[in-house]
Amino acid sequence: MSRYYVGRNIAIGAAMVLSLSLARAADDLPKADTILDKYVEVTGGKAAYEKHHNEIAKGSFEMAAMGIKGSLTSYRVEPDKSYTETDLGAMGKVREGSDGKVFWQLSAMMGPHLREGSEKAQAQLAGTFNAELRWRDLFKDVKTVGVEKVDGKDCYSVQLTPAEGSPITQCYDKESGLMVKQSMTLQSPMGEQTVNSFATDYRKEGDVLMPHKLKSSVAGQEITITFDSFTFDTDIPADTFAVPDEIKALVKK
Amino acid sequence: MRLSSGAILAAVLCGWSFAQPALTPAERQLNVDSFEQVWKTVRDKHWDPKLNGVDWQAVHDELRPKIEAAASMQEAREVMSDMLHRLKQTHFGIVPGEAYRELNQKDDNGKSNPSDGDPGLDVRLVDGHALVTFVTPDSPAAAKGVKLGWEILRIDGKELAPGMEKVRAALGSAMLAELIETRSVIERMEGPIDKTVEVEFLDGNDRKVTLTLGRTGPRGTETVFGSLPPLHFWVDTHKLQPDIGYVHFNMFFEPEAVEAAMKKIMAECRDCKGFIIDLRGNPGGVGAMAMGLAGWFTRQSGLILGTMYLRSASIKFAVFPRPNPFDGPLAILVDGCSASTSEIFAGGMQDLKRAHVFGAHTAAAALPSMFTKLPNGDGFQYAVANYISEGGKPLEGTGVTPDREVKLTRHQLLEGQDPVLDAAVSWIHGQ
Repeated sequence: MSRYYVGRNIAIGAAMVLSLSLARAADDLPKADTILDKYVEVTGGKAAYEKHHNEIAKGSFEMAAMGIKGSLTSYRVEPDKSYTETDLGAMGKVREGSDGKVFWQLSAMMGPHLREGSEKAQAQLAGTFNAELRWRDLFKDVKTVGVEKVDGKDCYSVQLTPAEGSPITQCYDKESGLMVKQSMTLQSPMGEQTVNSFATDYRKEGDVLMPHKLKSSVAGQEITITFDSFTFDTDIPADTFAVPDEIKALVKK
Repeated sequence: MRLSSGAILAAVLCGWSFAQPALTPAERQLNVDSFEQVWKTVRDKHWDPKLNGVDWQAVHDELRPKIEAAASMQEAREVMSDMLHRLKQTHFGIVPGEAYRELNQKDDNGKSNPSDGDPGLDVRLVDGHALVTFVTPDSPAAAKGVKLGWEILRIDGKELAPGMEKVRAALGSAMLAELIETRSVIERMEGPIDKTVEVEFLDGNDRKVTLTLGRTGPRGTETVFGSLPPLHFWVDTHKLQPDIGYVHFNMFFEPEAVEAAMKKIMAECRDCKGFIIDLRGNPGGVGAMAMGLAGWFTRQSGLILGTMYLRSASIKFAVFPRPNPFDGPLAILVDGCSASTSEIFAGGMQDLKRAHVFGAHTAAAALPSMFTKLPNGDGFQYAVANYISEGGKPLEGTGVTPDREVKLTRHQLLEGQDPVLDAAVSWIHGQ
């Protein structure tokens, strides 16, 4: 599920609220554990995930309504290092990452930002490699809360509550077991923003089935991230995850 | 990333004039589709579900037959503009598709090859008179000896005053009127670079002087931002005196260029007594850049310039301090052509008591907006949020009142003085 968060910090704006229809009583529903474990199973199984120790994802970013397009490259290494660079052309680059301890975002447009508190906790969650396998460690509570329709198909709505920060709701297709939607509240100094993201175009990368398109609604804007390629277990230079000097200057001694 | 673009505001309001060929049935249908898109977008995206009290369905029903009957692009644009004007708010407008033509005229370097230009003059209205406030070095106007403070009387034989009075009467709002009137004067001098423009001035000795001026391409480098037409951006930083840093850029675009310029002047001016950010004539751009610029001038985390209110969410314009920011006196220069993101920055820094604002009241046009292309190829700008500055004041319709209002005079301009800048320098030295 961690790949699902790749665009979380790129989106700035307010939320498009989608209605969630809870059609069935909770006790009729499969347990969240079963749904989350099934997701791992249908996307390749634990062994397929564990085979990989790092990942480079490349793709594109688009805010179609405004005609804004860009490219993005994301690097992730187990257990929790990450770096994503989104090139937005005339708007410049947005960089964000973590060395596992310091979580940050940096852009010419807005300056350097050190993530702290619940915002840091969210970033930590997003940066966890193979988080799909580790939901028992990452969330203090998971429960199935209903059935929702996404794209005309029923999906089980699962609420995952992390140790810090607000719950995340993920919807898993009833038939395929694939996660098709995620709703969360982004935390940042700019305020809380509701984000609804839809995952489509599941295809195999190696032995793992992964979504290649994420369409997110935030602040009335639609943002589409399309992944063109995933590369696993290559040499990623260690300094990829180095904390930039502008951020180091903000870290309290 | 929210676009708070007043950059094309004046162009939207002043409009372009182009030859108007007859439309094919397919083109007429595209105009109808565009009309519907504009109407639905405002209905669904306007931050106020009550649409400023306008009966939007009635507006649709009244104007739909007119768009169906529109026999030219100009007529179609007038119908859509009429619809948007009913909202009585800035940052709603239609930009003719012809404005995008530069995008399709690329040279070997991938840049457009602008066919339009200007003589190299900037103008401000002073007591209803259009005075030259800047002459671009090496421009056609500079070559012909045009000086600061000269008044523009006629452009291509047409007297300015009656047209400006007409604009003023149509607009009513004194603050926005200044921005639009100024733009209308400047745009009348713009045109094909292979053609000249005849301008009659009142020179420093109160003599009428008529000069035939050539045109040159816009200053700065071309930038293309989303669905906006191509824009030209420039940034200038230098030490104004041995102890004051000066930053001037024409629009809030190209954040990496602004950041590089800021890094340079910050390094050169680490021990400076003060900084001046000159936003006169700056119509805005990317709203988020206001936060990034503020970060150079505070080390305090958690500051907010203001809040943007959308229909279903709000976004705080948080300031993220840069490493080793400048703590000394900060002066911001504004005028009636400072709009949108310029107002967000100046108003927010004033509210936070981090800056002293000098000059004239701003344009009061500060609605965060988006920009998209319509099926007929035109651009469509629409506001999606209201913006309340940290002091609790909406900037739309009220703007920023300088801490020290400084009025330009023809006499001072003729003397080569810049009274607004002089006031800021004097204030910094007095701190």
